[in-house]
Amino acid sequence: MDLLRSSVLSLIVFLPVVGSIIVALMPKEKEDLIKKFAIWWSLIPLLLTIWVAIDYAMNFMHGNQMAYQVKLAWIPSIGVNYHVGADGLSVPLLFLTALLTTLGLYYSARVIRKRVKEFFLLFLLLSTGMFGVFVSLDLILFYVFWEIGLVPMYFLIGIWGNPKDRPQYAAIKFFLYTLAGSIFMLLAMIGVYLSTGTFDILQAAQTGVWTNAPMFATLSFWAFFIAFAIKVPSFPFHTWLPDAHTAAPTAGSVILAGVLLKLGAYGILRVLLSLFPGQFAQFGWIVAALGVIGIVYGAFVSLAQTDLKRLIAYSSVSHMGYIMLGIGAVAVALNMKGTEGAAESAAMAFNGASLQMFMHGIITGALFFLVGVVYERAHTRDLKVFGGLSAVVPVYYATMMFAGFASLGLPGLAGFWAEFFTFRGAFGIVPWLAVIGVIGIVITAAYILYRIIQSLFLGEYDPKRWTHWTTVFGEHADGPTDMALFEKVTLWPLVILMIILGLWPTPLLMYFNEAATNILSNLHF
Amino acid sequence: MSESIFNLTWLIPLPTALAFFAIILFANPKKRLSSKIAVGGVIIAWILSWAVAIMFFVNPEFTEQPFDLAVPWIPMGNIVFHMGVAVDAVTAGMLFMVGFVLTMIFIYSTGYMSFPGHLDPEKYPDAAKEGLDPRYSRFFAYISLFATGMLGLVVADNLLMLFIFWEIMGLCSYLLIGFWFDKSYPDPKQITPKAAGLKAFLTTRVGDVLFMMGLIFLFIHAGDLNFQNIFANQEFLHELSTTTVNLPFFGAVTWAGLISMLIFWGAIGKSAQFPLHVWLPDAMEGPTPVSALIHAATMVSAGVYLIVRMSPLFSAAAHGGSGVMMFVAFIGAFTALFAATIAVAQKDIKKVLAYSTISQLGYMFAALGIGAWVAAIIHLLIHAFFKSLLFMGSGSVIHGVHHGHEHAHAHGHGEGGHEEYFDPQDMFNMGGLLKRMPITGWTFIIGGASLSAFPLITAGFWSKDEILAHAWADGHMAVYWTLAAGAFLTAFYTFRQIFLTFFGSPRTEAAEHAPESVRSMTWPLVALAFFALFGGFVAVPVDFPVVGGLASDFLAKLMEMQGEFYGLHVAPARFDWTPALISMTLALSGIVVAWLVYGWKPLKAKQSDPLRRWLGPVYTVLENKYYFDELYYFIAVRPTLWLASFFYLFDRGVIDRIVNWVGAFNRWLARTLRRWIDEYIIDGAVNGVGLVTTWTGAVVRLIQTGQAQNYLLILLLSVVILLLLIPFGS
Amino acid sequence: MTVPLSWYLIFATALFSLGFFGVLSRRNAVAVLMGVELMLNAVNVNLVAFWRYLTPTDLSGQIFVVFVFTVAAAEAAVGLALMISIYRTRKTINVEEINALKH
Repeated sequence: MDLLRSSVLSLIVFLPVVGSIIVALMPKEKEDLIKKFAIWWSLIPLLLTIWVAIDYAMNFMHGNQMAYQVKLAWIPSIGVNYHVGADGLSVPLLFLTALLTTLGLYYSARVIRKRVKEFFLLFLLLSTGMFGVFVSLDLILFYVFWEIGLVPMYFLIGIWGNPKDRPQYAAIKFFLYTLAGSIFMLLAMIGVYLSTGTFDILQAAQTGVWTNAPMFATLSFWAFFIAFAIKVPSFPFHTWLPDAHTAAPTAGSVILAGVLLKLGAYGILRVLLSLFPGQFAQFGWIVAALGVIGIVYGAFVSLAQTDLKRLIAYSSVSHMGYIMLGIGAVAVALNMKGTEGAAESAAMAFNGASLQMFMHGIITGALFFLVGVVYERAHTRDLKVFGGLSAVVPVYYATMMFAGFASLGLPGLAGFWAEFFTFRGAFGIVPWLAVIGVIGIVITAAYILYRIIQSLFLGEYDPKRWTHWTTVFGEHADGPTDMALFEKVTLWPLVILMIILGLWPTPLLMYFNEAATNILSNLHF
Repeated sequence: MSESIFNLTWLIPLPTALAFFAIILFANPKKRLSSKIAVGGVIIAWILSWAVAIMFFVNPEFTEQPFDLAVPWIPMGNIVFHMGVAVDAVTAGMLFMVGFVLTMIFIYSTGYMSFPGHLDPEKYPDAAKEGLDPRYSRFFAYISLFATGMLGLVVADNLLMLFIFWEIMGLCSYLLIGFWFDKSYPDPKQITPKAAGLKAFLTTRVGDVLFMMGLIFLFIHAGDLNFQNIFANQEFLHELSTTTVNLPFFGAVTWAGLISMLIFWGAIGKSAQFPLHVWLPDAMEGPTPVSALIHAATMVSAGVYLIVRMSPLFSAAAHGGSGVMMFVAFIGAFTALFAATIAVAQKDIKKVLAYSTISQLGYMFAALGIGAWVAAIIHLLIHAFFKSLLFMGSGSVIHGVHHGHEHAHAHGHGEGGHEEYFDPQDMFNMGGLLKRMPITGWTFIIGGASLSAFPLITAGFWSKDEILAHAWADGHMAVYWTLAAGAFLTAFYTFRQIFLTFFGSPRTEAAEHAPESVRSMTWPLVALAFFALFGGFVAVPVDFPVVGGLASDFLAKLMEMQGEFYGLHVAPARFDWTPALISMTLALSGIVVAWLVYGWKPLKAKQSDPLRRWLGPVYTVLENKYYFDELYYFIAVRPTLWLASFFYLFDRGVIDRIVNWVGAFNRWLARTLRRWIDEYIIDGAVNGVGLVTTWTGAVVRLIQTGQAQNYLLILLLSVVILLLLIPFGS
Repeated sequence: MTVPLSWYLIFATALFSLGFFGVLSRRNAVAVLMGVELMLNAVNVNLVAFWRYLTPTDLSGQIFVVFVFTVAAAEAAVGLALMISIYRTRKTINVEEINALKH
């Protein structure tokens, strides 16, 4: 047990690399074998993350420290360690990553037809980068994993992207934009080292960074912030997102929206909040304001879309705004220590932001899969050519309804709790910003219902309007066919999660709540 | 014993929820089975509701400590939020009504949802053969979920849970209003079901968002949302009504005032009060049982129920000097009259009822605004009975006329000719239906009489009179006269509808051939008619002459006792002849006027409404609902869409362009650097090093003779030179 | 009366210079080799002289001389073998003509 506990995080992180090496050694004609192997292999990290979640819940709750810590010297000359660990914030996100990776691989096995071997190799490699970020407790390690995730994604978009959507442009934009941000981050990390003599996040947080040089502290804060804000992406750094999401293959969009965006938000909570609480408290209102702008702006822009995938991409901008609002509220609350109810509101906002990270992952993941479902059949995403599908493909309709309503925050489905907690926290801390953010809720309902549901499903079904239907396997068809078994297997776990967590978010919330109370109490709340 | 029955409360929303999942997951292909599951579910819910409600009615002592069963549900920071169910007098009353009306509507639906006229039978051969709607199962799944929403809302013991079920109902209303999503009309201006559903959801969403803000503020201040914990805590309410917050435009308002105002906006949206009333008439695009569900038993009454629940907060706000109660009364009274005027000029049988619903809800809000919450809840309950009766009756009429149309069409002239669009909901296409459809007709008349507050024998009279009596007794004269004028109009438009539909002679062939509806549709009408007549006796004032002694007015007493628990003191209005006679006179005169216009000389076929001649342009304004749809289109819908396009252009044209400019700038910089620095400096330096090396080599190679002896000579010379240098070294 | 150390050193210097001159000036490779032998032996004289006069108790001077003898013998053997090899290929042992290093 102890052996497993000390190695489980490393296993989760590095098993995918091993898997991709094995894939690399396989002959590339054996596509079936590669696909099967990759899917089954990805189940191991998934099971391990589930084990971690259960074990954490049973043995590490209320421990107020990082669990499963491993600390090995890596580059001793500059004090870089291989230091990993997990707490209530990272455990659910690990599970989310593993789940979406497995589902993405499973889905791609049926729809990826060119360069299969490379696709599965890169996809496995991608998950290593994401797992790694969620467990790193050393800045350099964090940075390395952060960058590892970039490369496979670049190729996934560039090679398997839809040729109509300028995939090369989108891929290079995504890559350069993120890289530009991470340069700042690397500089700031070196700054942290110069100030504290360590790259260890926990130690640096205890020592305090640039406590005697506020100018440097502010500069480092913004350097980190820009890197994270680009990744989130926060308004006004968001324009890589619609291009990248639209161009990426289905599974790539799912991972991009479901997990990669969360890395930025996670970084803010893990690194910025613990290393620069003072600066964060000072500038938190800017973060919250950017979040609110993102919510409203993203919602309005989504409303103007006629391309289904681009619409959902912009809706991510809006939904990530909730996370920024929540985090910003937590930061502002640091200024209000001692005010009645501030601690409570801060915990709520923290919970809201982290819940949104998870919920947006499953909801938008499902939505992108659903885009894939219709695109593989109609070979267009133009909402203007559809209509009346509800009568023809009821299962698809029902699944889309669940995902769509979860996305607009209908109580009883997953998205609601994230919004509720975020606004509960934000109203207690930055009420005026929250009031503006609330507009986003109405507009969200408008674009989900008016654009997606109404354009796709309602109205009269006219088969003549769009005639190039095929089945999902590429055979000719007279009209839309309903979801195939593999699509159901991909989507229904997500839908079930949406319903269960919508009715009873506690199984998820207990982790985040644990993290919220710990992190806030470490900030002497 | 009784306690243990209350323990079943949490089960009440479950059977219909299970029915929903069972239908969508398993029973979907089997239409009849789906409807049986749904009806079975709702009957269980009905039995449970009545068990709980009646147990409460016979044991009034529970009002002193209402039942509450809560379990820890969600951790929130250092506290744990509890979810649970509670039963007090208001809940019991609601359960009594909701359980029964829902069951009636479900049974009615099994007959009503036959193959709809707008679909092409060739496209759905199976469904057409069965004679059922192709999406029959889906319909029953939706209304089951709707029932869950309403039942859950009623038993919720905290505001958050109430809000959750409230929104689930919003979802169902969206799904059900747009149920016939593929229906379209020849007139492009006429709203289609899909647009109506969207409109309903978005309009109520505006209210819901404000409601959620109120909820959150209440949560922030109370740290809890449990009704009993918050409202039995007088100190907290007092504090809330004395601490203030500064708002722009409004100045300092108390928190109690702000929160109750925000929550009231939720009710305005859900109960379709002015100015968010626009969605409800269009919601008539849904199948008629849905209209009955939404407008009678569930959704709209949820708004009133919410404000009844929140009454302690509202009254605390009023004590704190906030004008929110006045606002409620104003909105209610204004809507009551405003909607009644529109109803006068409608020709669609369901639209008249829709506006009458808005108007009647206005009465309830007016009652709440003047503090007469007991009168409001009783009117809510009784209204639910007669309004669902009226809706289902109108559905039966529409069904009959539609079948009559098909019948006439099949046996008469339909062969091959171009089919003109026939609206089976237009009252001017009806007439004389009482003879063709006697059960529907008579029950409809009973419901109509109840709605018009026909004195003494109808339930509607007692409940409406209670509101008017309160307004009179408490000196709210403006409210009283507004509502009294509304009462006159209500009687007028209701009997206008009855005379147009059921009396005179048939104005179309369709009406001539309309058959009576099937039994599953008629007997719920009869059952509801019973309550529409006699349900009012629970609300007869004790001091009313003659009949006052017969019924004990127990419901009102029960409610008043419950009010004591929440610190609400409502004195029953003493019976007063003046207002009672005025309202009786007005109701009767409304009926008489309607008879003079429509009953005395029944309209002929193709004859237009005589009111149009007399009212002139006013009639056009009323017919177009004061142009509110157009107004909202210009001030809300258009700007939103415009803003959306603008932001998108901004995104592509400004923000993304900046990003691309940065990229382009870097490429330009790279090219420039390559050209200047690379070619001349870096390359120059590299080439320079090469040149120097070549030149040095050319020189040095001269001494490379290949002769070992030459090398040795150089060695010797070097040593000699080094030796000579030694003296200088030190 | 004893012979002073400087005499030995002067003698060795003369011998070394003689040898070095031979190495630089003679054309015949065998003669060059003989010059090298002279230089080595001049060093040997030095080594023995320094041992005798400066550190008579330490044997390292003598041991070095023995090493030098050995190496010189080996060197002569290898050198002559190379000469023969060069002579066989180029038909000459004139060092001025052996300038392959230049190319």
